[in-house]
Amino acid sequence: MEHLDITGKSIGETNRALRNLIADHDQVIIDNPHSSHNLGTALKGNGKVTINGSTGYFTGGFLAGPTLDILGNTGWYTGDNMSAGEIIISKNTGSNCGPSMMGGTILVRGNSGSRVGFAMKGGNLIVCGDVGRWAGYMTLGGRIIVLGEMGPVIGESMYRGIIHTADPAVEKKLGNNVSVIPISDAEKKEVSALFEKYQIDHPVNSLKSVIPLKTGRTKYTIFNPTHKVRSKND
Amino acid sequence: MTEEATKTRNRKKDKIPKVPNPDGIWTKEVRAEINHKAVTGQHRIRGMGVNMRYPNFDDLLVLPAQLSRLSVDTYREPCVTKTVLGTRFAKKPLEIETPIMISGMSYGALGKEAKTALAKATQIVGTSINNGEGGLLPEERDNSYKQVVQILPSRFGFSLETIEAADALEIICGIGAKPGLTGHLLGSKITEEIAEMRQIPAGLDLYSHPRHGDIFGPDDMVLKIQELRDITNYEIPIFLKIAAGRVTEDVKIAVKTGADGVVIDGCQGGTGAAPVVALKHLGIPTLPALVQATKALEDMGVKDEFSLIVSGGIKDGADVAKAMALGADAVAIGTGANIALGCTTCHQCHEGICGSGICTQEPQYRELLKCDAAERVANYITAMTNEAVILAKAAGKTRLSNLEREDIRSITLEACAMTGIPLVGTNYTFTERFGFC
Ligand SMILES: Cc1cc2nc3c(=O)[nH]c(=O)nc-3n(C[C@H](O)[C@H](O)[C@H](O)COP(=O)(O)O)c2cc1C
Repeated sequence: MEHLDITGKSIGETNRALRNLIADHDQVIIDNPHSSHNLGTALKGNGKVTINGSTGYFTGGFLAGPTLDILGNTGWYTGDNMSAGEIIISKNTGSNCGPSMMGGTILVRGNSGSRVGFAMKGGNLIVCGDVGRWAGYMTLGGRIIVLGEMGPVIGESMYRGIIHTADPAVEKKLGNNVSVIPISDAEKKEVSALFEKYQIDHPVNSLKSVIPLKTGRTKYTIFNPTHKVRSKND
Repeated sequence: MTEEATKTRNRKKDKIPKVPNPDGIWTKEVRAEINHKAVTGQHRIRGMGVNMRYPNFDDLLVLPAQLSRLSVDTYREPCVTKTVLGTRFAKKPLEIETPIMISGMSYGALGKEAKTALAKATQIVGTSINNGEGGLLPEERDNSYKQVVQILPSRFGFSLETIEAADALEIICGIGAKPGLTGHLLGSKITEEIAEMRQIPAGLDLYSHPRHGDIFGPDDMVLKIQELRDITNYEIPIFLKIAAGRVTEDVKIAVKTGADGVVIDGCQGGTGAAPVVALKHLGIPTLPALVQATKALEDMGVKDEFSLIVSGGIKDGADVAKAMALGADAVAIGTGANIALGCTTCHQCHEGICGSGICTQEPQYRELLKCDAAERVANYITAMTNEAVILAKAAGKTRLSNLEREDIRSITLEACAMTGIPLVGTNYTFTERFGFC
C-alpha cells in the first residue's frame, strides 16, 4: 500500500505519479485530494486507488481498469468515457455522471445530479439515492440502476441499454421512445449479483425496467401546431 | 378539366402581358423549392456546401514583387511549405509538409475505400487526415501520414485507443455547413459494420445530440482540455473546430480554454447531409471569418503561438496563399479532396448511392471509386501547394507563411470592407472598424 499526498502538486504531476504507483502497487491511497479536477484520468491496470476525501470534475475520466474508491463527493462528469474498472463514490456526485461511458461500473452511494449516464454506451451505473432530470438520455448501451427518486424525462430517446428503477412514479416521468416493463428474471439475477458484490441492501423485486422502443419511435417534427381546428360552428 | 375551363385558361395565358424579368424573386429554383415543400411538407436536405456566391478569396489579388521588393526564382530558389501546428503547448506539434490538410469526413458519410484513398494521399504528400465522426477506420490509421482524431458530441466509435492513435485531437463545436444542428443518421445507412464501429444499433434512425455530454460550457472545456493533455502526456496538439459565426468572441474563448489552435469552418464548408436552409443561412463565409479570427488573436497577443486553420470552400493554391496572407497557418479541404477522388458534385451525398463510389456504403457503388484515387488527391494537393508557392515567390517570399496582409489587395468593395485590405488601385480602405482597420 502506498500513500500519495497531493497537496501542492499539479494535476499532471499527480496523475503521472498515480499511474506509476498503480503499475507497481495493489493499493494507492490519495490524501488531501482538495476537490481536484481530473483526478485519476486514464488509469490502467487492476489496482485500487482510495481517495481520502472529495474530488472535483472529471474524476476517473477514461478509466481503463483500476478501482477508484472515493471517500467523499465528486463533481460533474465522474467517470466520463470510462471503459473498464470501478468508481465507487461514498457520498454524492454532481451532474452528468458517467457521460459516454463504455464499460466498468460507477456506484454512487448517495445522490447524483441531472443527466446520469448521458449517452452511455456500456457498463453499469448504480445510484443508491435520488437522481435529477434526464437520466439515461440517449443511451446507446449499458445499465443504469436508480434506487431512489428520479427526476422527469427518464430515458429520453434511449437507443439501447436499460434503466432499472425503484421509483414508483416512473411511468409519469418517462421521456420519448421508452417504455416501462417488469424486471425479468434474468435481469433480477444480474442485478442481485451486482447488489451482492457492492453490499447494497435493496429488494430487486421493487425494480422496474425502462427500455428503448424498437418500433413506433418518435418521428421528430420541428413544427408541431397544437391548436384545435376551428369548426364552422365556433 | 372541362373543355370550357381549358379554353378559359389558355385565353388567360394569351392575355398575360409580357413583363421584363418575369421571374423576379420567383425563379425556377425558388419555384422548385416551393413545390418540394408543398408536396412533402419537409425542408430540403442535401450534401455538400452552399452553392451561392459569397465574398471569398477570389475577391483578393496578390501583389507581385517588382522594384520595391524582389521576387524569388520560381524554380531554383526554395520557398518553405513545411507547416508546424500546435506549438503553443504541445510537446510534439503537428508537422506537415504542406499547409493543406484533409478535413474530418466521417466513415459513414464516406465509404471505406474513399477514406483509405484519402489516407494514402496524405502519406504521399506528407500531410494529415482527420477521421471525422464515427470512429477511426483501421485502414485510415494504417495508411495516413499524420492522423487527426475528432472528439464529437456523439462520441460514436470513440475510445481511449483512438486518442492514443492520434497525432492531434480536434474537439468539435460545430461545422460550417450546419453549425449547432443535431445530426440525423438514417437507419437505412447504418450497416452492421458501421453500427459495430460507431457502437450504435443497426437500422434505427439516429438523431444525435449537438452538445458534448462532458462539456456543458466553456469552463468545462478548460478542464476537458487539461484531461486530454494529461491522457496524451502533454504531447499532441489539441484544436477546437468552430463554425464561423460570432468568430471574435468564440476565438477569444478558444484561446482561454487552453487549446493549441482553432479550425474555423466557414459557411461554405461541405457536409455529408444538411438542411439547405442551414447551408444557405447559418454562419458567415470563410473570408470575413478568417479576418475576425486573426484580429481576435492579435488583440490577445497570441497570434504567433495559437494555430489558425481555416476551411470552407478552399479550392486552389490561390485560396491557400491568400488565406495565409490573412493570417491562417494552414487550410483544410473536404469537398476539393472529394472532387479529386472523382466526385461529380451531384449534391446527393446524403442518399448514400454515390456514382463515384465516395459517399456510399454499398459495395456495388464503392467499387466505382477510381483506382488511382489516392494519387489523384495527392496530385491535387501537390498542384495546389505549387500554386500557392508560385504566388508567394512572385510576392518575394521564401516561406509560404511569410505572406502577409500587405501583399494583397481587394478587387471588390465588399471584400475591401470586410477585410480592411485596400481596394486595388487606391491603397485605401474603408474607415476604422472595417476588417483589419
Ligand atoms: C462528405 C463530408 C463529410 C463530413 N463529415 C464531417 C465530420 O464527420 N466531422 C466534421 O467535423 N466535419 C465533417 N465534414 C465537414 C468537413 O470537415 C469540413 O469542415 C468541410 O468539408 C470544409 O469545407 P469544404 O468541403 O468546402 O472544403 C464533412 C464534409 C463532407 C463533405
